[in-house]
Amino acid sequence: MAKPVLSRENIKLNVAIPNKAEAIRFTGQILVQGGYVDAGYIDKMYDREEMATTYMGNYLAIPHGTEDAKKNVFETGISVVTVPEGVDFGDGNIAKILIGIAGKGDEHLEILSNIAIVCSEEENIVKILNATSEEEIMDLFSEVK
Amino acid sequence: MAEATTRARIQRFGSYLSGMIMPNIGAFIAWGLITALFIPDGWTPNEKLATLVGPMITYLLPLLIGFTGGRLVYDFRGGVLGAIATMGVIVGAEIPMFLGAMIMGPLAGFAMKLIDGGFQHRIRPGFEMLYNNFSAGILGAFLAGISVYFVGPLVNGLTNALASGVEVIVDMGLLPLASIIIEPAKILFLNNAINHGILSPLGVEQAADAGKSVLFLLESNPGPGLGVLLAFSVFGKGISKSSAPGAAIIQFLGGIHEIYFPYVLMKPMLLLAVIAGGISGVFTFTLFNAGLVATPSPGSIFALLALTPPGNYPGVILGVLIAAAVSFAIASVVLKTSKAEEEDLSAAANRMQEMKGKKSDATGYLTPQPAAGIVGDAGARNLASDNTQAVQSAPVKTAHDIKKVVFACDAGMGSSAMGASLLRNKFKKAQIDIPVSNTAINQLPADADVVVTHKDLTDRAKAKLPQAEHISVENFMNSPEYDKLAQRLKEQGE
Repeated sequence: MAKPVLSRENIKLNVAIPNKAEAIRFTGQILVQGGYVDAGYIDKMYDREEMATTYMGNYLAIPHGTEDAKKNVFETGISVVTVPEGVDFGDGNIAKILIGIAGKGDEHLEILSNIAIVCSEEENIVKILNATSEEEIMDLFSEVK
Repeated sequence: MAEATTRARIQRFGSYLSGMIMPNIGAFIAWGLITALFIPDGWTPNEKLATLVGPMITYLLPLLIGFTGGRLVYDFRGGVLGAIATMGVIVGAEIPMFLGAMIMGPLAGFAMKLIDGGFQHRIRPGFEMLYNNFSAGILGAFLAGISVYFVGPLVNGLTNALASGVEVIVDMGLLPLASIIIEPAKILFLNNAINHGILSPLGVEQAADAGKSVLFLLESNPGPGLGVLLAFSVFGKGISKSSAPGAAIIQFLGGIHEIYFPYVLMKPMLLLAVIAGGISGVFTFTLFNAGLVATPSPGSIFALLALTPPGNYPGVILGVLIAAAVSFAIASVVLKTSKAEEEDLSAAANRMQEMKGKKSDATGYLTPQPAAGIVGDAGARNLASDNTQAVQSAPVKTAHDIKKVVFACDAGMGSSAMGASLLRNKFKKAQIDIPVSNTAINQLPADADVVVTHKDLTDRAKAKLPQAEHISVENFMNSPEYDKLAQRLKEQGE
């Protein structure tokens, strides 16, 4: 039985995170605890961040592993963390929404593309940061036309 | 507004020139070092190593410039064509053909671009490789052949014209004015033809009578070049600034004047500096009635002093110093004003963007987007100032040729998927019917026409798929490039 790519347990709201390294660890740890990846995946997430920032713009960062980290992935999953205070992702980029990604196949692409379209509107960013329950986030990310 | 665009054009041309020369300065310095050290008159003569000198300046340096010039216009494919065509120029002329390379390189790249534009989309699937290689081969062979026939006579004609010009001036006794011809001729590598062809024989005659001749000093005075290089050391930017002091040592102490030619070639306004430096130098020499007993070769300050007859030291030394000072002063002004202009220009471009709220096509060309991935941050800043064209140089395709747009990132699992869906969304809204997919860079499909990547990864993507158009984005979520591409495809599609 395949796990859902995104479930309530993968969402953490209003977390205070001091720095980028901690942000990556935190988003990765959710995926480890959910049984999506092994612990080695987090190191690969740091490697990927070294290579090029996963900061995407519009307060959104999507920490994930490198190409060769796919062997550390048991099942495809994503984690969502909101950080209203923001985390410095370097070069003056402040991330407030962190999406941890573990991709094995293409199952997550649909939800990821929803996230992209939702987050490309600044007003939705505000909505996400003001969300008070995990369900709100689930709804926002799944109900795109 | 018209004024601004003319200025922008001149400036783009300038950055084009430096874009051809700058990446190859290392090769110039390597050659300069080898020459200064190992030629018979060098510091530690070595016959075996000195055999490098000729082929390097005749073949290596022009080919590098030709390649770089072609690449600026049409990426690697243009570069290859540029190098082939430059070979024709080299074989056709008897002097090192830097100028020829600077003309033929970009021209050949442009010719390839034109031909590809006309044919590439008509090539049936499966024949692309065949077309790519043979079209480049045939065009290259043609351009190289043409160059062999046209360049030789052209160079000879030019040399003769300059030589007779110098002869007339010398005959009239207006020696300082000879610099107006000599200094530009040096930059075109016609220095030896003029020095050894005219000045030396005349000088030898004079020296036989008077024991010395000022004619030996006209071309060999290292002052003007020194001034330019010092100006770069103080007021230059990026690589040109950091390489200039070393080049000055090779030029002034080692007597290898060729080392400063590229610096002048990339800012032709600097000709004013070397000419004025040359004139004031020669004027000083004649004022002091200074001369040398024979031709100093190479034109190092040591060689000059070794050939200075007793009593002539003040005149020779002063002439060199004054030439350097004048050339330095003018070169500094040239470098400073062009720097200020560049700043003006990018400030103006920024203002325009702010007003429009997004990047417009025109300003996109003025805002450098250096290849940060390869050279690191500090290097990127240098590139930004020295090599504005490099990143903009990749092929840009028309809507007609674009069948497939691919978003790529390292793993193909995150950023590219999001970017692709945003772009797909934009295309859908603009009713553009071109598929957008996403992938890992290592799996880029060979038939992708446009590849979009994060700016840190663009170089890797280019290396993987050089023939595609590459778009570099910084903000995946909200990049002005998406709208630009959508708009471009929509307009051209109609």
